[in-house]
Amino acid sequence: MIRAENLSKVYRMGKIEVPALRDVSLEIKEGEFLAIVGSSGSGKSTLLNMLGCLDKPTSGAVFIDGVNTASLNENELAEIRREEIGFIFQQFNLIHSLNALENVSLPMFFAGVSSEERMKRAAELLAKVGLRERMHHKPSELSGGQQQRVAIARALSNNPEIIIGDEPTGNVDSETGNAIMGILEGLNREGRTVIVVTHDTEIAAHAPRVKRMKDGRLLEQ
Amino acid sequence: MKDIFLLAYRDIKERKARTSLTLLGIAVGIAAVIALMSVGYGFQQSVTGELVEMADLIMVLPGKASLGSEYVELGSFNERDLKDVGRIGGVKETATGASSMEEVEYRGEKTVVSIVGIEPRDVGVVFGDMVKTEEGRFLRDNDHKACLIGHSIAKDYFDEEIRVNDRLKIGGSKFRVVGILEKQGGFKSELDSEIRVTRRDAKSILGNDGISWIFVRVRNIGEAEEIADEIEERIDENHKLDDFTSAMTMGSVIDQLKTIFTLLQAVLIAIASISLIVASIGIMNTMLMSVMERTHEVGIMKAIGAKNRNVLSLFLLESGMLSVVGGVLGCVLGVTGANVISIGIGAALGEGIPAIVRPEVLLGGILVAVLVGVLSGLYPARKASRMSPVEAVRYE
Repeated sequence: MIRAENLSKVYRMGKIEVPALRDVSLEIKEGEFLAIVGSSGSGKSTLLNMLGCLDKPTSGAVFIDGVNTASLNENELAEIRREEIGFIFQQFNLIHSLNALENVSLPMFFAGVSSEERMKRAAELLAKVGLRERMHHKPSELSGGQQQRVAIARALSNNPEIIIGDEPTGNVDSETGNAIMGILEGLNREGRTVIVVTHDTEIAAHAPRVKRMKDGRLLEQ
Repeated sequence: MKDIFLLAYRDIKERKARTSLTLLGIAVGIAAVIALMSVGYGFQQSVTGELVEMADLIMVLPGKASLGSEYVELGSFNERDLKDVGRIGGVKETATGASSMEEVEYRGEKTVVSIVGIEPRDVGVVFGDMVKTEEGRFLRDNDHKACLIGHSIAKDYFDEEIRVNDRLKIGGSKFRVVGILEKQGGFKSELDSEIRVTRRDAKSILGNDGISWIFVRVRNIGEAEEIADEIEERIDENHKLDDFTSAMTMGSVIDQLKTIFTLLQAVLIAIASISLIVASIGIMNTMLMSVMERTHEVGIMKAIGAKNRNVLSLFLLESGMLSVVGGVLGCVLGVTGANVISIGIGAALGEGIPAIVRPEVLLGGILVAVLVGVLSGLYPARKASRMSPVEAVRYE
């Protein structure tokens, strides 16, 4: 499903080169639930950005369903992010001027889904994550856990096969964090591939497969 | 499609103070152009409009005459010239006059005024029925030592105002004022500072019976230019001179005036356009700030699958919407401004020049606003659309 081959990423800060990823190779099978654990600065978010087609590696390649993403242009990458990948961020990253329903329907808007269908599906998804009563609230009127559930509903809106979470529980208390992991486990049971990055081993314990990262390298278990 | 409008609208609404100032910038720019064009057009109409009513008129002068250059009198016409002109086919009627500058005395005060000798019945040939008296009457054929004076002569030329039946001394002999003309202004403003007497009286004042001008009315306006050429040819032949006569049709005068007004308007619009340029810089600035503030939002949109052109069209739509509203507001301000200017001119000059707002000018104003908005929104929108999603989403 997703295959990373010899990924390296080097950030340039003025004249200094900072390697964030060093020769990382990884294969994730369809329907797998993978947690990547590492301390901050270990390169786990950088790896996730490569796998989610948000960023391009300095060298190496990411294959999604056998397609080398390095050969795709910006628009084609945007299409993959829109149709095949659902992102969940630590900071929730909802759009403040839009209410929950509109936030969830935004990826469908970019996909050209009709207005009625968007609203119908967004409402269904919000009901699925337990926010039936809060659909017309703005992000600022929702708690952290509720915002993250809106973000999960948004990640699901174009029915992607892959869900990527970058510290999805990092900004909520542990009880809410477990609830969110519960939702992700449910999505995995539906057959979706789930990849989560976290520094919290307790959260990582929800995943059947755990990989550790340190100094830009994936550690062998 | 509706939703992207809503999205753009919401973004605009979030920044009320800044967007309303930007709006005002565009509106003032558009308003300046519309107001100046409308006042200019109103002025043009008030001058040429009167002339259009006289479109069948040909003015024949003994000398080089054209609009915008000094008239040089080369002599005068005689009765034979007048007879020949009257015989040309298509000529409906003719009127003649003699004029010269003479000393005029009223209650011991002296000044020099243009005296025009004209057959009383010819007044209608020259001005139709557009000219009326404010007081008294027009000249009559059997008037002797009587004069009809312009409005300014009566009110402004002498310390004391001249009334009907007062007496003036013109060229040494006494004349009775039989009428005072209404204030004319505009293209006929020279009537305000002239004194009219009969041709017979003019002869005795001037000491000769030369004709200073012939006015010709034609039957068919379409033939006016040809008849004018023929008049020039006939009279030049009579006097055995080349280029002695100038026969100007009102049509050609109107055309020349229009050219002058077009030029004048172009200059005014060029000046007003500066405010439009400033306004477009304002839009660009607002949009750039908006793009910067929303870098994070752009990052989110791109991360969840927005293509570059989705982002581009969102920001373009935003600046487009700003400028449409600005354009409409500019139209309202422009029409108001045009009327205020025209009332101001009216108060200053004592005669009203109504501003004429043409619908195509309003439409053009809105189109220009949209064009300015889209063009100045293009750079910020492109900047936003080309952001890297991972960097933009990290930006706080």
